[in-house]
Amino acid sequence: MRTDAAETSQSMAGTLRSIISVAAVLMAWEIAARLKLTPALFLPAVTTVAATFVDLVSDGSLPLDLAVSLYRAFAGLALASVVGVTLGIAMARSAWLRWLFDPLVALGFPAPKIAFVPIFILWFGIESASKILLVAFACVFPMVITTYNAASAVNRTIIWSALSLGSSRSRLILRVILPACYPRIFAALRVAVPVALITTFTCEMVAGGGGLGATLMYSQRFFESPTVYAYIVAMLAVGLILDKAMLALQERFPAWRDDGR
Amino acid sequence: MGPRLPDAAPWLRSGRATMRVLVPIILLLLLWQSLGSFHLVDTAFLPTPVLVARALGDLMTGHEIRDNILVTLLRAGVGLGLAIVTGIWLGIGIARWPVFRSFVSPLVGATYSLPKTALVPLLILWFGIGNTMAITAVYLSALLPVVVHTYHGVKATPSVLVWSAQALGSGRRELLWRIFLPHALPDIFTGIRIALGFSFVVALSAEMIASTAGIGRLIFMYGENGSYDYMFAAVASVVVVAFLADRALLALGASCLRWHDSALAVET
Amino acid sequence: MTTKIRIRRVSKTYKTDGEEVRALEHTDLDVGEGEFVSIVGPSGCGKSTLLYIVGGFIPAQGDVLVDGNPIEGPGIDRGVVFQEYALFPWLTVRRNILYGLENRPLTAQQRAQAADRLIGVIGLEKFAHRYPRELSGGMKQRVALARTLACDPVVLLLDEPFGALDAQTREVMQDELLRIWLETRKTVLMVTHDVNEAVYLSNRICVMSARPGRIIEEFTVTLDRSAGREQVMLSEAFNKIRNDVWLAVRRQATAAAAQAETPQEGTPQEGTPYGSAAA
Repeated sequence: MRTDAAETSQSMAGTLRSIISVAAVLMAWEIAARLKLTPALFLPAVTTVAATFVDLVSDGSLPLDLAVSLYRAFAGLALASVVGVTLGIAMARSAWLRWLFDPLVALGFPAPKIAFVPIFILWFGIESASKILLVAFACVFPMVITTYNAASAVNRTIIWSALSLGSSRSRLILRVILPACYPRIFAALRVAVPVALITTFTCEMVAGGGGLGATLMYSQRFFESPTVYAYIVAMLAVGLILDKAMLALQERFPAWRDDGR
Repeated sequence: MGPRLPDAAPWLRSGRATMRVLVPIILLLLLWQSLGSFHLVDTAFLPTPVLVARALGDLMTGHEIRDNILVTLLRAGVGLGLAIVTGIWLGIGIARWPVFRSFVSPLVGATYSLPKTALVPLLILWFGIGNTMAITAVYLSALLPVVVHTYHGVKATPSVLVWSAQALGSGRRELLWRIFLPHALPDIFTGIRIALGFSFVVALSAEMIASTAGIGRLIFMYGENGSYDYMFAAVASVVVVAFLADRALLALGASCLRWHDSALAVET
Repeated sequence: MTTKIRIRRVSKTYKTDGEEVRALEHTDLDVGEGEFVSIVGPSGCGKSTLLYIVGGFIPAQGDVLVDGNPIEGPGIDRGVVFQEYALFPWLTVRRNILYGLENRPLTAQQRAQAADRLIGVIGLEKFAHRYPRELSGGMKQRVALARTLACDPVVLLLDEPFGALDAQTREVMQDELLRIWLETRKTVLMVTHDVNEAVYLSNRICVMSARPGRIIEEFTVTLDRSAGREQVMLSEAFNKIRNDVWLAVRRQATAAAAQAETPQEGTPQEGTPYGSAAA
């Protein structure tokens, strides 16, 4: 009959394999580049990319671009959150608002918002305004939908208790419904952050006007591959850090966590 | 007594339901039209629905829309298709073989935070502008949702299902095809739906950034030429196509997943 | 009477968060051919764990022999009926039952006939092409039973098969099971927390001690079941045995409560099999 296997050694082996895996890829990359297996244009060495990265950070160009992009992404996200949450709760409370906006939300949700870049450039130019608004446009849909679902699902007994304790309508919304929706709104935010970043970067790549995306395109056009790779790494790092930050926030504020449902 | 409508189109079931959905859209169109007709907004910046419709008609008869949308759909479709096939296998592998998982999952997880459109300049360096670049970009962006959802669907298979099958004589291979995959199917569908959205976005982005064909390129070109009514028409066509593709996928899901608890029917 | 299942010195230890939990300690049990043996005991004593070990689903120390051969993992010789969620939700009732038949050396026509016959036995002809989500709990368990019987297993392992059903349905199902057992005379090993059920159905009851579990007491049950449920359950013989068994379990339950830090049944640390697979 089968006997128990020693399990602790399995999980240590697992972590080791993960490290080996990543290290192997990096090493293969470095070797391929050094041995000129592919033209330096396509695949600069890891060390070259790393050196370029350090240069770009220290001369301030990358941090500046990063700041611009992040400003746009967060401004857009903030706008989308305010509008989205408000509209979501309003739709949950009012049948005719729901009727009015339902088809628009349903139509807009699957649509690739990137298609609207030229429209936003036409209306708002190529500076930050058009990007912020496009980000807002892209992020508002998940925010509305999630908030609406969350607000509709708020337990009726909670609402009735609050009403019987004399809550006025606005207090009801602000102090009862909204907090009840926090966990799912936060979950939607976690999903919306990458959307905001992608939209910002893509808009910058298409239209220019500064930011990580724009510089990324310039580097490609001038065939500065190490810079291209360095900027991609920067975008990757930004995405990772922000996601981890949101997870940490969730730990810090348990009211935002989706447990005990 | 008219013909029975198929179950995949519940929104057509009653005329009243259709009205409910259409009226807000009609209201929006009227509002939009009045902005132009009453000169509240410069029609150069916001062509009226009538102008847009006329432009759309032109484009349809002139085949510009059709040809370019087909290019975009081809790129999105091929990329998505490849991502589905490889993604499902990757997801199953990560879920079922711990050794494979420890090697592969950090690589897969690392790509999670990277916006795949950022890879477009890189792909241009490697493949130039054209179909290969676009398809590769779509593939890379569609892969992750499929992998993650397949993994989740397989991993969440209740032990009693697996044990029941084993006690009925199923070996490893049978378990994979007849237990794990069917159980993961609802999750896989959700993953594909998300991947579909990504595919459109990335295909369009790649075309807008640098391409010689595709509806993204067309939209951009009209913008640069100042033919704004054509630009709006092209954007409208994209919105409609994306919507229809999503609905088609949902309908497919509804028919394949009739057995599922949550009855993955057509939902908003 | 030949021994169908021989369980010798089976022990099982779980490691969780660095702590060791002994679920079973040197458990011994013999089940003879054609016997209906129930295992009862307090929550968390490890009775389900023992069943899963006999089924070959979890590894353990010790020996389990079926028909004299040591088991190597799950097999078609040991049919299992779980408490719930065991029907394949993407298959209709008929296809679920056919699944079991596919591993038997039959022609397609023979399989179809066997499936139809079994559907008739459980009385679900009208639901043959429905999906499990359209069935009630009792119906689902009937299908589960039919599917297991379709395989013609050597022994039947039942893990609280009616535990998820309401009281009335449970009684109906118990009578069904009894009827099928009297017809087929399969060797049955059942785990249940319901003492009444154990006495009503089995001809031998084993009481398991509190964790770490081992068989502590045994009761032989001789009842004339032909008289029908009312007569049986109201008879003195039934109540005497039932009281004895209940007391035995109660003693173990009190002992379990006295133990410090008693985790709950199903060892949630390992994850219940009714949730996600510990692949």
